[in-house]
Amino acid sequence: MEIPYTSEVRPDTGLTNPKLGIWLFLASEVMLFGSLFSSYVLLRSGAPTWPVQHEVLSVPLAALNTVVLIASSVTMVMAWASLAPHTAAVTRGDNVAEGNALKRYRLFMGLTLLGGAIFLVVKAIEYVDKFSHHLYPATNNFLGLYFTLTGLHALHVIVGMIVNAYLWGPGTRMWRSQPERFANRIEVVGIYWHFVDVVWIFLFPVLYLL
Amino acid sequence: MFVFGALLVLTMATVGVSYLRLPDAPAVVIGISIALTKAALVAMYFMHLKGEKPMVYWPLGLTAFLFVGLIAGLLLSEGDHLFGTQFGDAFTRD
Repeated sequence: MEIPYTSEVRPDTGLTNPKLGIWLFLASEVMLFGSLFSSYVLLRSGAPTWPVQHEVLSVPLAALNTVVLIASSVTMVMAWASLAPHTAAVTRGDNVAEGNALKRYRLFMGLTLLGGAIFLVVKAIEYVDKFSHHLYPATNNFLGLYFTLTGLHALHVIVGMIVNAYLWGPGTRMWRSQPERFANRIEVVGIYWHFVDVVWIFLFPVLYLL
Repeated sequence: MFVFGALLVLTMATVGVSYLRLPDAPAVVIGISIALTKAALVAMYFMHLKGEKPMVYWPLGLTAFLFVGLIAGLLLSEGDHLFGTQFGDAFTRD
């Protein structure tokens, strides 16, 4: 059975199902991260003392990671923009347009994956540095929250990279058979990827700067 | 590209402001305001919210409402220390 409304708009919602689906999923993600952020506010505001965060953590590394993640969001937009204008041509059987668009898409999706990988390497360097100074999640409330929030966020980066890697490699077969559906997939994983970026945009000042 | 530039400038701004070592209340207000601005730029332009169909705003609006409820509910029920003291004291560093 065909999955309904993957590329044509559903009349009652005015959206494709994947688009509405990803936003509903992100709504649940907001609550997941929101509960942890509110725990942070509560624990920090109630604590008699709190570590000076920028002395415990590395602001330059986190600033670098912020730039890396924002750049990977930009390349994700470019990956989608490489495909979206050419769906009609590919549907008509224009092989040149199909090949050129796919090449550009692969380049930008590859760069997005690279951005995710650099982010995780930098994060790993930070973690190892904390551990080498005997700073663990159990050390204090701040580090407990730091490792929980950044760990959950890193998990989201890893999941996004797995999906992106599939859509960079074997997933591209769909570009020839159902170009519009494939472009929609890229838009939807893009929305997820940008959400992961947005979470980091909040984690950075909250955990490192304030 | 304009959005990319704006996001980079705002990132530099938030790091720069943090080096001023402002008192806690203004630092929190500035830091969170810059983060909200960046998040709005990403949502509007990268996530295509600008010009999106109204149906997308329903789950988003509900989420925003519940998110505020989550924070407010927790702080109102558990945050006596916040309301017995001034905002500035509550965020004092050690």
